[in-house]
Amino acid sequence: MIKNFIVLLFLFGLGMIFSALLLGYTPDSELNLTGRYYAEHTAQDLGAANIVTAIIVTYRGLDTLGEVTVLFLTAAIVGMLLSTGAGKGKSLQRKLSQSGELLTTGSHLLVPLILLLGAYVFINGHLTPGGGFQGGAIIASAILLILLTDPLYRFSHQLISIVESISGLIFLALGVLGIFFAGGFLDNRILPVGELGSLFSAGAIPIIYSLVGLKVGAEFSSMLVNFSETEDS
Amino acid sequence: MVNAIFIIVIGLGTAFLLGLLRETWRHTAYAVMLAALAVMAWIAVRWLLFFAVDGAAPVDILTAGTAPPFAINLRLGITEAVLMVLVIVCGLLSAVYMKESLLRLGRRAMSVLLVFIMALCGIIMTRDLFNLFVFFELVVIATAGLILLSENKQALTAGFKYLIISQMVSIFLLIGIIFTYHTTGTLNIDGMAGTSADMLKGAGSLAFFLMLMAVLIEAKPFPANGWALDIYESAHPAFSALFSAAMAGAAAVYAVDKLLLITGPEWLPAVTAIGLISFVAANLLALAQSSDRRTLGYSSVGQVGLILVVIGQRDILGDQYLYIAGGILLSHAIAKAGLYWISGLLSQRDLTAWSALRGHPLLIFAFISFIAMLSGLPPFPSFYAKWELFMALAVEGRLWIMGFILFGALLEASYLFRWFGYILKRETAEEHKDAQILSLAPHKLVVILTAVVVGWGLAYVWGEISVYSNLLYALPLLFALSFVLLDWLPAWIKNTVVIAGMVAYFVVTYPLYDPLQLIFAVIFLLGGAVIFLASYHAHGRRIGFYPSAMLMFAGLSMLIVAEDSFHFFAAWEFLTIGSYFLIIRGKHSEPHALSYLVFSLGGAFLILAGFVVAAQGVQLFNLESLSQVAAPLAPWVFLLLAIGFMTKTAVMGLHIWLPGAHAEAETDVSPMVSGILLKAGLFGIMILLMNMGKQQLYGVELTYIMLWIGALSAFLGNLMAAFQEDAKRLLAYSSIGQMGYALFGLALMNQLGWMMAMMFVINHYIYKSMLFLSVGGVAKRTGTREMYQMGGLIALMPLSFIAVLIGIIAVSGVPPLSGFGGRWIFYNAIMSSEYRLPMILIFLSGPIAFLYLFRLIHTIFLGQLKDEHRKLKEAPFWILLPQMIYVAALMVFALVPGLALRKVDAYLNPFFTDHGLNWEGLTITSDYGYWSPVSIMIVIAVIFGVLFAWLLFVNRKAQKVKQFNIVYSAERPFRPETTHFAWNFYAPYRKAMGFLMQPLVTRFWAAVTDLLHTLADLVRRFYTGNGQTYAIQLLAFVIIVYLFKMEF
Amino acid sequence: MVTIAMLTGFILILMGLYGALTNHNILRMIVSFSVANTGVNIVLVAVGYIHGRTAPILNEAVPAAEAAARIIDPVPQALVLTAIVIGLGITTLMLAYAYKLYEMKGSLDISKFSELKW
Repeated sequence: MIKNFIVLLFLFGLGMIFSALLLGYTPDSELNLTGRYYAEHTAQDLGAANIVTAIIVTYRGLDTLGEVTVLFLTAAIVGMLLSTGAGKGKSLQRKLSQSGELLTTGSHLLVPLILLLGAYVFINGHLTPGGGFQGGAIIASAILLILLTDPLYRFSHQLISIVESISGLIFLALGVLGIFFAGGFLDNRILPVGELGSLFSAGAIPIIYSLVGLKVGAEFSSMLVNFSETEDS
Repeated sequence: MVNAIFIIVIGLGTAFLLGLLRETWRHTAYAVMLAALAVMAWIAVRWLLFFAVDGAAPVDILTAGTAPPFAINLRLGITEAVLMVLVIVCGLLSAVYMKESLLRLGRRAMSVLLVFIMALCGIIMTRDLFNLFVFFELVVIATAGLILLSENKQALTAGFKYLIISQMVSIFLLIGIIFTYHTTGTLNIDGMAGTSADMLKGAGSLAFFLMLMAVLIEAKPFPANGWALDIYESAHPAFSALFSAAMAGAAAVYAVDKLLLITGPEWLPAVTAIGLISFVAANLLALAQSSDRRTLGYSSVGQVGLILVVIGQRDILGDQYLYIAGGILLSHAIAKAGLYWISGLLSQRDLTAWSALRGHPLLIFAFISFIAMLSGLPPFPSFYAKWELFMALAVEGRLWIMGFILFGALLEASYLFRWFGYILKRETAEEHKDAQILSLAPHKLVVILTAVVVGWGLAYVWGEISVYSNLLYALPLLFALSFVLLDWLPAWIKNTVVIAGMVAYFVVTYPLYDPLQLIFAVIFLLGGAVIFLASYHAHGRRIGFYPSAMLMFAGLSMLIVAEDSFHFFAAWEFLTIGSYFLIIRGKHSEPHALSYLVFSLGGAFLILAGFVVAAQGVQLFNLESLSQVAAPLAPWVFLLLAIGFMTKTAVMGLHIWLPGAHAEAETDVSPMVSGILLKAGLFGIMILLMNMGKQQLYGVELTYIMLWIGALSAFLGNLMAAFQEDAKRLLAYSSIGQMGYALFGLALMNQLGWMMAMMFVINHYIYKSMLFLSVGGVAKRTGTREMYQMGGLIALMPLSFIAVLIGIIAVSGVPPLSGFGGRWIFYNAIMSSEYRLPMILIFLSGPIAFLYLFRLIHTIFLGQLKDEHRKLKEAPFWILLPQMIYVAALMVFALVPGLALRKVDAYLNPFFTDHGLNWEGLTITSDYGYWSPVSIMIVIAVIFGVLFAWLLFVNRKAQKVKQFNIVYSAERPFRPETTHFAWNFYAPYRKAMGFLMQPLVTRFWAAVTDLLHTLADLVRRFYTGNGQTYAIQLLAFVIIVYLFKMEF
Repeated sequence: MVTIAMLTGFILILMGLYGALTNHNILRMIVSFSVANTGVNIVLVAVGYIHGRTAPILNEAVPAAEAAARIIDPVPQALVLTAIVIGLGITTLMLAYAYKLYEMKGSLDISKFSELKW
């Protein structure tokens, strides 16, 4: 009880800081310097209709590279954590009841569609809301569905890790090309900027975002697969 | 020049690439990873050389072809280059070190390691706040992965605790970043720094506060650092090395430094305070540790705290900022990584298990180098850095910061050197006796030795950049260091080289000395060479002896010629460390050597404080300028320096280290540390008094206090000597008394007093070296130092007897030897001064000295021979030889004291108003009478000769008698020695004056130590080990800092 | 509107932290941190909002020339995406760790894992 009280006391302090932040906050009525620059320059400089995508893939591309790496690391570490250890094969033998016909058929029907939707979302990331992370997550949800249907289904780790690595390497390579053929690392203008709003526009952004989509999808899948394999009998 | 972004690209690309390899191709993956790290290191080194050698300006690396603040940019200047070289090279070495673990876990672990290094480089280079956050999170996640390299199961819990903490940190960081972005309209650090200060008022300031706290916590400040200590303790040692050296010690502190650009000086005091508290608290808590890696963790927290202090003080450091911060940071990084790497060689986690390193001189040398770097000892970068830091702090009057740092540094040195004592002295615990504690894998050794080489290399570089001359160019020091390389030679060759070297150095430097320096030079160099004659008796290689001894003598010889305070202090540190290594060689000297070191370093820190306060920012502060220190500071400077020097002369109150240290040392070491080393303190006091003269503090004459201290030391030192049973301890206590005399003489502040002090300097060297050698020789033969176990040795060891006889005649100050001369000048000096009360004490201590001296000769050499000693031989030739030289020297000095003193007398003339002595031929006159050494010698010789002849005549019919076996009432006494007549010889005196012998001082210092340890043990319980508690502590830390900051 | 979103965000953070700092069960702690992270994300998005404007996507409704006057700040949107992904990464890791910790001790009580201390 005393501990809870102490926690409350300190959280009250934190609440004071937050309320000071809240009270001191005046919403902008105009875009600030940075936001204005993006609003005014993104279209002509990078040719991306979705400004957020332009920021993510190009202006703050280094962050995105880091983000992809976060997932890469997480997938690798989860793999390391769960593939080693004494628990392997010793966990209790659980009798898994057979998935229902409805679920099995439904998932066979849905999985290709979900994969398609995922691909659509990341390919069109520079035009519409969405992008590599969203698309990747959608792809992974297809994998999740398969695993829900058949918990003992085994994916090829090698395949997942090859997809992951190749897409990551190409992402990096495209970034490096920017140093030599455009303004710097991760500059998307190594390819023609094209016409605003069309699929083949915004230079390398659609390619990079598709790669991110593949990579994220592979990484999420890898984590899911690793977690599901702890159910090993 | 290769674009530095490739450091990140290669790190990341290789991490991705490893995913393409088959899981089983582990060696290939390992080779690829090493190659990638090597290329990254090469790029960073190229840039470093570009900045350091060509003096290039920092470069900005743009991404996305867009200028900042609209796209993320990186910056690379000399600071970044240095830190990246540190991070990558440390990573490369750790990767080599962790070979087995990495191969065990496979390519994924290698990818994680690469990303870890890459992300640290990212933190260092990026100029974008949010990008900083991303790289920090990468580091967190990679850490959670690399923890799995450990073989310690508990590491898993540490990793989870870190994840909990990082959740908290990322909440603070994100809220902070977004509100700072909202106030300033940018995410670019330089952009924010460019916005007007008003913007960061109110909510903006709070946002910055949250951000700063989040980044600070990554630097692991006390007390929000329980998780970090757990990681340090349980992770793979090579990862702990990286975590300490590269993550906390380089990337996190540099991130703090970058953040502080945004607000200018406003937050600097808070960072200073947090750093200072961490430094002192971590070092205090480390006192109570028994696990090696956790100790290193605490030490790491402390060192990073110190770096934070430097960052917090950067407003006053000016151009020196990078030099100071870099010196401390790099020393810490190398030392801490090196120590963690060494810990990986050992399979036991107890500090005492490190005794397994004994017998591996190379590893011990590495250990010494590392702890010297951590403690800020010369010639390492941290020494230069601390000196400059204190100079700046003293100019600004921020003395309390200096005080705290020095206190923390003393704590740190005490546990580090205590640890060193364990290595040299502790026996391996019984249950581990058979276990193989130490495993030496070649690749691990290479990694450790690389760290040693780099550390010494940086010592050279820091010396080169410093405004002072490079300490590594000092000839005596180089001579000393060369013995590290020559240590494989047999002892007698090294001994010959040493003697030749010291004599040659004296001959070469002879013209440089003024008369005062000359006397000390003769004692230090020639006197040292004579003692080394005794070292010929040692057989084998005597590993470690010569480097240590030469380090001490190097310090001594640099001390006398030092012209400015920096070199004086550096020399002082050298001689302190060298003598510590000498003293700890004794069989039972572990605790005594430690207390010697702690007292000496404490004294040295006071001297340091005194010098920097006096210098007031003048970098090359001449010792003569001490006389120009202005009024309000002068007495304080005097006080600091005086206490510092008096620690070395072991005045009453600060003396408890001396008896053990001198008595337990090896036979030829005792005379070195007693006969020679003590003079360094006197030399310091002379320099001090000569330049500062009489100072008053609150109306009290400080020299007058010194006079009293001298008198008390003389009296009590002698008294305690009289009650010792151990012959070497007796001599050691007698040194306290003798130094008291000398101090008294100096504090009289007249020429006669100084003359007498000089007499004591010379005499004490000769007779104390001689007595220690003869007693040492006797102890060697009899196998004991307890006097009551000896007796009747006169017939068996006549030469030793003669040496002791001559020695005690000289010490007691009776005619005809030079001791009398000392006394004579002394009484003259006292007569001409008005201090009657301390004078009485001094007079009283004369007869007391006679008590212990009598005992020395009576108990050891006279009386009845013990049965077990019947077949003893005379002491070894090489131990006797110097004694005989001393006998001759005493005779000569007794006949013609003017040989040495005349010049000094003349030299001292200008300093004092009263006149000294008149030197007419062989007679010396003063206001009160005259002293003619030669005639006294003749008179005494005649009297002695007549009496001796008469004695022989009377005793010509004397018969030898047999000893009887005396049985104690047919009962075996409980403690047999108590029945011996020589035991507790002065029981009546003890009854009368024993109350003066109460070990009050010893008890006082024991209480201080106990208090510190208890406090440490109590406070560390604060780290409960519960991850949730750590998180609450972190929250509390943030809130409390907030409340403090809002209050002021 | 912004204030309400922000207030919600802050309250979620405080609630999440309270849960994380008082629940002994590791899984509950992880869930609590997820709640707190959600709060952070809400605050992040709320900061970029400008009343009466639309999403930063250029199309017929928002021509490039008028973008500066029509869209909300795109930066927080980009940041929040990164923050979400990173938060997800850490949550995943915590879950994997929780699994291993459970395997080690057969318990999910955080106070059971305090061998490393002092």
